[in-house]
Order: sequence, then C-alpha cells, then structure tokens
Amino acid sequence: MRAGASTASRIAGPTAQTARLMLYGLLAVVLMAMDHRGQYVSQVRSVLEYAVEPVYHVVEWPARAIRNLQEQFQTRRSLRHENDDLRKQLLSQQADLQRLDTLVEENRRLRALFEGAEGLVYDYRFAELVRVDLDPFSHRVLIDRGTSDGVVVGQAVIDGAGVMGQVEDVHLHFATVRLISDPNHALPVQINRTGLRTVAFGSGETGALKLPNVPRLADVREGDLVVTSGLGDRFPGGYPVARVIHIDRPEGKTFIQVEAEPLAALDRGREVLLISAHIPLPETAEPEPEAQEPATGVDGPAAVQEPPAEGEVEAEHSDSSAPAGDEASIETEAPQ
Amino acid sequence: MNVRRDRFSVIAGTLVIAVLLTLLPLPAWLQMVWPYWVALVMIYWCLETQDMITLGLAFSCGLVLDLMTGSLLGLHALSLTVIVYLVTRFRARLRFFPPWQLALSVLALLVNDRIILLWIISLRGDPMPAASFWLPPLAGVLVWPWLFLALDRFRGVMRQRALR
Repeated sequence: MRAGASTASRIAGPTAQTARLMLYGLLAVVLMAMDHRGQYVSQVRSVLEYAVEPVYHVVEWPARAIRNLQEQFQTRRSLRHENDDLRKQLLSQQADLQRLDTLVEENRRLRALFEGAEGLVYDYRFAELVRVDLDPFSHRVLIDRGTSDGVVVGQAVIDGAGVMGQVEDVHLHFATVRLISDPNHALPVQINRTGLRTVAFGSGETGALKLPNVPRLADVREGDLVVTSGLGDRFPGGYPVARVIHIDRPEGKTFIQVEAEPLAALDRGREVLLISAHIPLPETAEPEPEAQEPATGVDGPAAVQEPPAEGEVEAEHSDSSAPAGDEASIETEAPQ
Repeated sequence: MNVRRDRFSVIAGTLVIAVLLTLLPLPAWLQMVWPYWVALVMIYWCLETQDMITLGLAFSCGLVLDLMTGSLLGLHALSLTVIVYLVTRFRARLRFFPPWQLALSVLALLVNDRIILLWIISLRGDPMPAASFWLPPLAGVLVWPWLFLALDRFRGVMRQRALR
C-alpha cells in the first residue's frame, strides 16, 4: 500500500487513501439520502432492477429443487392425512360460505332498496412468495407476479387467514410487497366487535401490530378481532387483520397501548392472494340474485352435505390452492 | 498483465458466489444469523493480494449488493468501502497476526460495520433493531477460519492450473 510505484493507485499513501474513503463515503451518503427521499435515484433503481431480475431466478432455483424433493418424498400416509384435514376444512368453510351467500344477497337487496352504492366484485389472483426479508429492517417480500400478470402498485395482498400487506413496487415478473408489520406501514382498521375505527401500525416484528390511537375509554378487550375498515382506498374493508393480545392502560395518558397479533402468516406462508378491488359490479349480475334466491334456500346448515353446485366450487378451490393452478381466480362478492 | 487478469477473474468469481449466498432464500432462523459473506470474502482478498481490492471495487460491489437486496442504495457500498479501507490501512500488521488474533480483528471489523449500519438506521428514523441484530458478526467469525482455508485451497488450485 505504501509502495509509490503501485499501478492501481497513482497517488499512494495513507492520506490519498483516506481522501478516497471520504469521497466514496460522501457519495454513498448522498446516494442514500436521495434514495430515502425518493428523488431521481428511485427511477434509475427500478430500471436497474430489471437487469437484476434473472439473478433471483438463479438463486431461487436450489430452494425450489429442495422443495420439489420434499414433495416427492412425502409419504402416502401423510398425504392422505393432509387430504382428510383439507376436506374437513373445506366442508366447514363451505358451510360458512353458504351463510355468507345469503348475507351477500340480503345485503345487496337492502342496498338496492336504499339505492345506495353497489357492492364490489373482488378478483383474487394466486401468487407465490419468492423471497422474504430483502432487508431485515423493512419487512418486504417478493412475489412471483409482476406487470405481465396485471399487478399494480397499491394492490392488497392477503393469505388464507388475513391481510399481509400491499404491493409497493412492480417489475416484469416480480413485485415487492410491504408487509403490515413494517414499521413504516399503517393500515386503517376497525375493531370488529364495536366498530371502533383506528389505525394499525407495524412494529418491526412479524408477531405484533401496534394500535396507538385508541382512546382511553374505548371498549377494547383482549381477543377482539381487528378487521380492515376499507378507509384510505387501498384495502377493501372487512378482511381480518389481527387479534388483540395485550392492552396497556398507562396512568395519565390520553391513549392506551393496544398490541395485536397478525392473523396472516407473515413469516411462514408461501401462497398469497392478490386482491384487485374497485371493479364495479357488472349490470347483468343484478337480476341474478332474485332468480337464484329460492333455489339456494335460506336454511344454511341443512344444505351443508351435498348441493350439486358445490362440486364445481370445490374443484375451483382445490385448483387455486395447488401451487400449479395459479391462473385460477376465484370471484366472490363482498359487501363494501 | 495476463496473470493479473486471471487473478481478478478468480476474485470476481468468489465475490459473485458470495453475493449469491447472500441472496439465497433461507428459513427465518438461519436468515437471522446469516453472515455478511461479501465482506468476509473481500477481507480475505484484501489481506492476501496487494492492490487488487480497491476502494472503487468495494464501492461498486456494494452498489450491486444494494440493488440485489433492495436495501437503501449506498448502504452496502459505504459499509464495504469502510471495511476495505480499514483492512488496507492495517494490512501489514494484520497479515502477521496469529489466526485467533486475526479472527478477533475480523470480529471487530464486522461489529464496526454493524455500528455504521445502526447509525444509518437511526438517521433514517427506523426503530432500533432487536438483539439478534448482533448475531451475524458472531456467525461471521465462526465461519471465517473455514472460509479462509477454503479460499486458500481454491487459490492454490487456480494457481497450479495457471502454471500448467
């Protein structure tokens, strides 16, 4: 390093090296500041990330191979066991769905009576997590759907149990999703039992959300379900988010500290659903409910066992939950 | 010149492998302790070769890593530049340290890197990370001797192939 005749550094010596360090350090800090503020750099970055994309495929390959191997060696017995479990689960969920169907119809009729806003049709699209934990300090994951599959920035992402996060950045075949546990993420929610509206902030840990804006006298109990409120025009309303696990009521403070545990498997699951909301209900869908109403019947529990229409639903369901059947999209209606 | 280019391709190859190792999708517990591979490989080459690892190389390598991992652009660039600067600065001394002392120096470098990271986190206004934040440097030191031996062996093989 001290050799003056070195080829790489024309001006050798510790001072020159220090000067260079300063220069690079400054450059790095400026870059970071610009990236943080979201100026210029972010555009350059998103272009460069297209170039980087193939590397993710390369890196993903061994993990995929291991997973395939595991699936190959799964015993017949455990598969049958799983199959049984899934069937039971499906049955109970179908029962729930039937009740939901009647509720949706009822809701729609009431809305029609009031000539109020139409319910929205939500389109679900299956996606798989490719990579978790891009940066340990911001909770983001990569999913294998991008602009080529019609993913847009701001789309809500859920899994089977609850809300996971929202799409932050879209590439051609990938999209990054910011999880609700990210410290910079805020989600408009309400307590399901009381309807109390508040905001859930990420805590930086996948196991907890913070609800810091709950008034002291609000009726909140441990075990309360927290659902999306649909305010803020990002997340559709009514999706379960978390369950209240801890309430701290410090003396002399205006707000109480509520901690909730996310229902979605933020650090475990692999399969997620992308919701595309705000597709207005087609005109033709409206007369249908009246025609179908007598057929489906109001007595939910009695019809649990067999209805013929359910066979199709089942096929569609199992299709979409299998990793391969990714193009299948389930359409359901949800009251706004 | 040819020898130099050969050597550079060996270094570049190991660095690429280190970057891929960093990106490998892992279970959460392993991810938590996953060492800073690129820094370790860079420290090795910095100690073993003269003038091959420049600050510019460290900086650009860091930028690539930033792009790949989606971290703040310039974060890894800064951390690698600082590490390489420190190693080249004390290279003459570090090279003659006994192995355990060298390992301790590597630990110091990695912890120092974490402190810089902590500084950036606090500037950004992010909440302080958990205690597991300090695990990767420890894992890095545990991996260091094996990495050192492996790279030594690899270098020997490459050199022999070049001589033949």
